[in-house]
Order: sequence, then structure tokens, then C-alpha cells
Amino acid sequence: MGPVELLHMSVFSQSFSPCGRFLAAGNNYGEIAVFSLSAALSPDASEASQKPILNFTAHDGPVFSLLSTDTHLLSAGNGEISAWSWAELIKKSTKAAWTRKPSYETSLEIPEINAMIINPKDNSLIVGGGDNNIHIMDMETGIFKSVLKGHTDYIHCLCFKEREEEILSGGEDGAVRIWDARTNRPVHCIEVFKYEECARPQFGKWISCLATDSDWMLCGGGPSLSLWHLRSMSPTSVFPLPGCQREAVFYQDLIMSVGEGPHVSHCLHGGTVKAQIPCTPSSLNTLALNLKNSEHRVMTVGGSSHQIDVFTNFSYRAFSLSF
Amino acid sequence: MSSDAVKKRKPKVIRSEAGAPETKRGRAEGDQVTYPAGPHLIGQRKLFTAKNQDVRVYNEEVELEVRDPQQDYMLYKDTCAALAKLMEEIQELKAGGAKVQSVEIEERRTQCSVHFITLKKLNRLAHMRLKKGRDQTHEAKQRVDVLHLQLQNLLYEVMHLQKEIGKCLEFRSQHEEIELVSEEEFFQEAPAEISRPHVTRDDQHQLTLARLDWELEQRKRLAEQYKMSLARKEKIQKAIEQKREYLSSLQPGLQNIMQASLPVQEYLAIPFEHMQKQAEVARHLPPPLYVLLVQAGAYGQACDKNLSVSISGDVDEAKALSRPPEDSQGTSVGATEHSQTLIFFSSVQLDDKRKEMLRRHPLSLCVDLKCKDGSVLHLFFYYLMNLNILTVKTKVSTTTDLSGAVSAGELLNSESLLNCLYASDHGKETPNPANRYQFDKVGITTFGDYVSDLGHPFVWVQKLGGLQFSSGGAQSGLTGSALSASHMERTMKLLRGRLQARLALHKQFSSLEHSIIPVSSECQHLFPAKVVSGLVRWTTMSCQEFTELGFVQHVLKAGLVHETDLFFMATVERGTARLRAAVVMNPRYPDVAPLFSLSLHWKGERSGRTDDNLQAMESEVNVFRSELQGPRPGLQLLTNQIQRLCVCLDVYLETESQVCDGSEGPKEFPREKMCLRTARGPSRLKPFKYNHPQGFFSHR
Repeated sequence: MGPVELLHMSVFSQSFSPCGRFLAAGNNYGEIAVFSLSAALSPDASEASQKPILNFTAHDGPVFSLLSTDTHLLSAGNGEISAWSWAELIKKSTKAAWTRKPSYETSLEIPEINAMIINPKDNSLIVGGGDNNIHIMDMETGIFKSVLKGHTDYIHCLCFKEREEEILSGGEDGAVRIWDARTNRPVHCIEVFKYEECARPQFGKWISCLATDSDWMLCGGGPSLSLWHLRSMSPTSVFPLPGCQREAVFYQDLIMSVGEGPHVSHCLHGGTVKAQIPCTPSSLNTLALNLKNSEHRVMTVGGSSHQIDVFTNFSYRAFSLSF
Repeated sequence: MSSDAVKKRKPKVIRSEAGAPETKRGRAEGDQVTYPAGPHLIGQRKLFTAKNQDVRVYNEEVELEVRDPQQDYMLYKDTCAALAKLMEEIQELKAGGAKVQSVEIEERRTQCSVHFITLKKLNRLAHMRLKKGRDQTHEAKQRVDVLHLQLQNLLYEVMHLQKEIGKCLEFRSQHEEIELVSEEEFFQEAPAEISRPHVTRDDQHQLTLARLDWELEQRKRLAEQYKMSLARKEKIQKAIEQKREYLSSLQPGLQNIMQASLPVQEYLAIPFEHMQKQAEVARHLPPPLYVLLVQAGAYGQACDKNLSVSISGDVDEAKALSRPPEDSQGTSVGATEHSQTLIFFSSVQLDDKRKEMLRRHPLSLCVDLKCKDGSVLHLFFYYLMNLNILTVKTKVSTTTDLSGAVSAGELLNSESLLNCLYASDHGKETPNPANRYQFDKVGITTFGDYVSDLGHPFVWVQKLGGLQFSSGGAQSGLTGSALSASHMERTMKLLRGRLQARLALHKQFSSLEHSIIPVSSECQHLFPAKVVSGLVRWTTMSCQEFTELGFVQHVLKAGLVHETDLFFMATVERGTARLRAAVVMNPRYPDVAPLFSLSLHWKGERSGRTDDNLQAMESEVNVFRSELQGPRPGLQLLTNQIQRLCVCLDVYLETESQVCDGSEGPKEFPREKMCLRTARGPSRLKPFKYNHPQGFFSHR
């Protein structure tokens, strides 16, 4: 990667290893870089420890989604899903454990995969992407057992409610659809852009981020980021954030979201924006929290830059990892 | 004898008083000896008055032999004691009040006188003893002296004789220095009347004489021979002179023939004459220029018919330089001496010193590189003698007039034409580290001030001249011709490539300024048939203006901008939308691709930093540049990049109104481009990739 390529790099996805000591990040060139958090966070960290311990090309197209299971790292790029063993990656071996492709209707363009989640109940992988459908794959057999159709435009994000076993999906068509995971049937469809409080017609109607926490749901994108109560299916608070949000998470009693604009927004459930922490990239695509490891409890964000900001204290940027 | 009667003889000693006769005083008062007394014990002296034989003679000398010195000494002591005693008595008497004329005193006085007389005699005797002793000694000494002298004389004679003998024995006759032939040879060679064997065999002396005679004979004969040879040599010398004159008379004739053959040479393309002349001048070139001449000439002959080398400059000055010992060294030494008082020098003197330090060798090389289209790159190489570096100046001559483009002013500027031929070879500072010390002496702070005058001291120029300066980087260990040869081909190719690139850019710029993007037929497949956005302005910028732009800060921070780069601004418009692109072009174009930074003015101001789609457009031209190279040598990169920008702007504007829903009014830009999907991925990027020949746009 020359300096010109680094200048035009965007980080789209991140995932922490099961032990919590490593971070994998995927960029728009199809590369996956593995960083050692323990080295970067140790007291005698140097410039070299902020560089990846392993950097390899995983896919032909951008890696839009990364997901970690207990043993493997799943990456989605160019319409296919590859699995890499974490143990092998740490040993710097870049051989994929397996690669699978959902069945697409033929098209001139290969649809991308934008979101992947795991259903722990029946150990299945749920992916959604450019062909407007949600595919469900059984992790043990690797067979794509079902397809959920309903969206009219490509799917941005997926979410899973464990208690009710429901899948939530948000798409470019502006609809948030709720599906029953057991029966694979659609349950609800919320068109967020139709609600006046949230709608922002000057931007558009797409939904690019979804998050759930028991009965609450966060969604945002073209419309403002808003907190919904699912039982009543109505927005309770709307967050006055200027840009379009691309990822939002619930953390303790805060809501953290990233999107257009070089900052991480901390918001309260009531609808106020508590803080906006500045970051290096000019717009952010992904936010990840390392909750599996108490020693390396950090937040990392990546976006339209080759640098990934690391927050040890969530209130300010500590340092940056660099591709 | 001692009791002889007192008889007065001719006394030399006058007795003042009469002495009372006493036995002690019965001493002979002899007179002094008037004539040397021989050891006559009984010296009969003639009295002045005639005396008979039985007159007793008073001879004190004789008495002297008889008396015993020891006894005399005792006598003396007694006399002294008696005298003392008498004096005491007299003293007592006088003290007792006796009269001076009393009888006792008189008596005693008389006795004292007698004692005195005795003393006197004794004294005399002592003196006489002494004298006698001395005389005897003296005689003995004289005898010894005489003998000693005789001894000395004899010794001296002996020595003299010995010396003479020595000299005689050492005598070398001259005849022994002459090397004579050995005896056997002599007897063999010499004729009988000289050798006379019957005599010489026995007599050494005769033999030697004979041998000397023979030697003389031989020498005379050889002297004769020598004279004859000398005469012959003279004759031959004269003959040679004549022939030489004849040859030199041929010279003008040959010159005429050479002149006449020049046209023939040209016709047959064997520039024999020219090469000879050049070789002649080349002898006076300084070594680096000579290496360059040889290597460039060799390369030209072997690989590149369009390269030619020639020498220009003043040959006489060069010859003058090589003759006396280096004047320049003298001035530089003078500079060291005066370094302390540099401040007090007037600026004129300092100027002179500087000029001296920066002096160029009078001869220079001119290398011409011709291109296929007829344009020529002239390179003038100079050698700075005191600094030991080569510099180069350039000139471009083209067949067509190149005054069209305003923005192309800098392209063929001879100052910057050869910038960064190799990466980071700016040619502003001298590559010779020793020059730093020389500059300090004459107060030159940067060589860059003089570069426009003296030429650029690029590192590749030094390498072509075989000069290698340790610069800390990896060194190849080659020097001189080997170094030059190893760099020649690559450098010439780079030079030619540079000229062609610049000329191509020149043409392209004049076209761009007329708002036409020249896309050649080989590159048509990269773009759709219809492109609506058009270039409206193409201008050049200075480095200062570039760094002040807001949307290029990321490029500056990444360290991709250098002072030697060229900066341009392209403006693409369609309808109300205006896209500004700031271009950073490295002098090594097209090996290093130009870098674009975008800023769109349409319904607000957006840049590549704020809008992900603009960043995607930037990466279309910056990152995927290898698609836009075009046919080798890739001179169409820039124009292709600009054309692609126009295409991307079209897509951006046409898909924008599509994606954004709920906008009122007619869309400004109707969808004309064929896109399968208008948004993809989390950042909802537009399809900027053009697919040929199907003609639709897709995502990367």
C-alpha cells in the first residue's frame, strides 16, 4: 500500500477476538488487518505496536462486515463469506477455513453483504446485503436454509432480539422490518421516514443503523437517530445529531453513535446529546466496544481514514492504530 | 787550615770591627772567590802582595770542605745563646746603675762583638756552601742537557728516516693505474719485438715495461679507429637531415589532400577528420568531462543513434590552465590565511574570491538528444574546477512553435526541466561534502544562489562523469568510467522520457486551455461515448496558493507535496455544479501520477473530506491510475484522469437527485448514465466504475 492508497483508505468493519486481545479490521481494498491490543495498550508501546501484526487481502471487494464467533472470524466481501480461525490468524496464517456464498439471482453485479449476525439459539448466521434479501445459513452444515424477502432496496443493517427471537433489518428503502426467526415470517414493518419527528427529507429515507436493548430500538440514517419503544412502535426520543448515523450501540446508560462527521456522539436516553468526542477520520463507519476482556476494555472507531482511533477512556481519544 | 793565622787578603768583605781572638773566632775569613774555584782543595791563590810559599794562605773554600755543617749549626746555636746571656748581663748591670763606660760592660760588649763576628762567619760559610752546591748542580744539569739534546737529535733523525722509508715504500707509480691486459694474453697477442719473452719472463721490471709498451701501441691504434668512426657518423647525420627536410616539404601537400577529402568523408558518413579533431581537443578536458565524453560517445555509437556529443569552449585557455602550477590553489590558500580578517575585506575582494572558487573550466560538453518528432534536448555540461563537481544546463529546441499554452510556462523552463530526474535529486545543493568548507571560507551560504548561473549539480551528472561522493547512502564501489557506464543508459532514457513527457504535456495543456480534453483513440474505451460535464478552466498555481487551499490539507499532511512539484487547478462544470480539482504533479510525471483533490460547489460546498462520494471520485483518479495510463509511455495519464473526473461528476450529479427522495421540482440532471444500482454499501457510494463495452456503471 503506497501513501496514495493509504490516503484513500476507508475502514468499514471491526471485530474483537474472542479473548479480547486482538482487533480485526476490514477496509475498502478488501484487506483485513489484525492488531494486537495487548501490545498497543502496554506501557512500553511504540510506533511499531500500532501497526497490524498481520495484514492480508481477504476479498476482491471491500470488507463491509466482520463478525467473531467463539473460534472464528467471519468476513463478508464481494458477496461471499469467509471464515478464518482466530488461532491461525494469531499465528499469522492466512488460509480461510471455509468460504460460502449465498445463492443470488443472477445479476451483472455481485451484491455486497453489509451485515452479519449470529442467532445463538440455533447457531445460524444471518446475513443481509445488496440483493434486498436476508439469508440464513446454518453454521454447522454451511447450508443456506432460508431467505427472507421483503425489502425493496438493499439491506444496511441487521439486529437480533434474543428474548423474542426476532430479527430486525433496516434497509435503503427506509423500512425497518421485524422477522420471526423461528417461522421466518415478517412480523412488522416500520417506515421511519413517515414519522415527522424523525424524518429528514433533505437527506433521504434509508436506515443505516439499528440496535436493540430489550424493548428499545435505536435506528437512524437519513432520518435522525431515534429511540423507539417496540411495544408501542413509536419513537420516544429523537437525537438532534447533524449527520447521518451509521452505527449506534447501547452502552450502560448511554447511547454511542458514529456517522458522518469526525466525532463520536454520546447521547442520553432522554434525547440529549451529552458529548461529541473528536476523532481522526472525517467520517466514521464503524464503532466497536471490547467488552469481552476487562483488561483491554476499549472502544475503537474506524471510518474514511487508514487510522483506527482507540479510546481507553471513552471520553477522549487515546491513540490511533494504523493500517 | 782552620787554625791558620789570620791574614787579611784582599777582602771584599769589609770588617768593621776587630774581634777579640777566641778559639771560635779562629776562623779564616776568606774573601770571595774571584775566579771559579775548581775543586782545588788547596787552592793557591796569588796574593796581591807577593808572599812566600810558606805563607799560609787563608782559603775559606778549602775550609768549607773540612768543616762539618752540623757542628757549625751547633756553634751557631751556642753563639746565639752566649750572646743572649751577655745581653742579659749587660742589662742587669745597666739596671743596677752601672755606668755605660764601666769595664764589665765594655768587656761584655767586646765579647758580644766577637760573638757577632762568629755569627757573620757562619753566615758566610752557609752562603758559600749553598753556592757550591748550586754550582755543582748546575754543572751536572748542563751535562745532562747536552746529552739530552743529542738524544733528541738522534731520535728526530730516526723518525725522519722512518718517514722517508715509509714514503718510499708507499710510492705508486702511475703505471700501476693503467689496466693492462693479463700476462697470458699479453704474451699471446703482443708481437715478439715488444714482448721479448726471453727477457721479460725473468725480469719483472722488464715485463712491466713491455706490457706498458704494448698498451701504448694498442691505444694508439684504437684512437685512430675512433677518429674514423666519428667521421662516418657525421656523414650519415648529414644524410638524415636531408631526408627530413624532404619529408617536411611533403606536409603541406598532405594537408591539401586531407581538406579535399572532407566532403568525401561527409558523403560516406565517416567523420574521421571530425573525430580526430575532437580527440585532439579532448586531451585538454578535465577528467570528469573526459569520462562523460567517452561514455556518452560510446553509448551513442552502440545504442542510440540520436545522441551526439561535442566539445565547445576555448581550447587555448584550457591549455593555459594545464601548464603552470595551479593558481587556484594559491588563491584558496590565501583565503585560509585571511579567514580571520574576512570581515575587514571589502566586498569586492570577497566577490573575486567567490568568483575564483566558482570558476568553470573553459571547455564544456554539449550532448544533444534528438527525439522522433524532431525536437532536441541540448545538455551543456560544465566542470567547476575548484569544487570538483559537474553541472548541467539545458535547452530545448522544437520544430514547432510552442507558445500556445499559458499554463505550460514552467514545463520546459530550463531551470526546472530536469528537476528530480531521479527521486529527490533537486540539483540545488552541491553533492560534494568538501565544498561546504570551501564555501565557508569565502562566505557562500548556499550554492542554490549560483545555480541559475552555473548550472545544476545533479547527482546523476556527477555519476555520469564518474564522480562519486560519499553521501551516506549505499555506494556501488564503482568509480570513474565504470560508474559512468552503469548509469548512462538509464539516465539517457530518463532524459528522453522527460523531454517527451514535457512536450506531450505542453501540447495537452494548450488543448486543455481551450477547454478541450484531448483523448486519443486508444483511450476512448475508458470512457462512455457521451460526457456532458466539461472542463472550463485550466490554470497553473504556485506552491503558496496550493497550500492555502482548504481541501488539500490531507495531502500536505501525508507528505505527498514537495516544493519541486507543479501545481494546477482544473474546473469542471455542469449546469450549476462546479467541481474544482487541485492537481499536484511531480516532476517525474508520468512515472509518478498526479494527485487530485476535489471540491464541489453545488447546493453547498463539499470536499473529499466531507463527502464520501467525492472521496470515491478522488480514488477513481488517484488510486486506479494504472487503468488510465494509456499506451506506453503513459503520457496521456493526466488527460485521461481529467476525462474520468468529468465522467464521475456526471454520474454523481445524475444519481444524486435519484437517491435523495422527496426533493421538489424537476431534477436538474436527468438520468442518462446506465447504472445498475445507485447506492451500495454502508456509505452508499455511487457507481463510478465504467464498464466497457457494455457501457454501464458499477461499483468497485
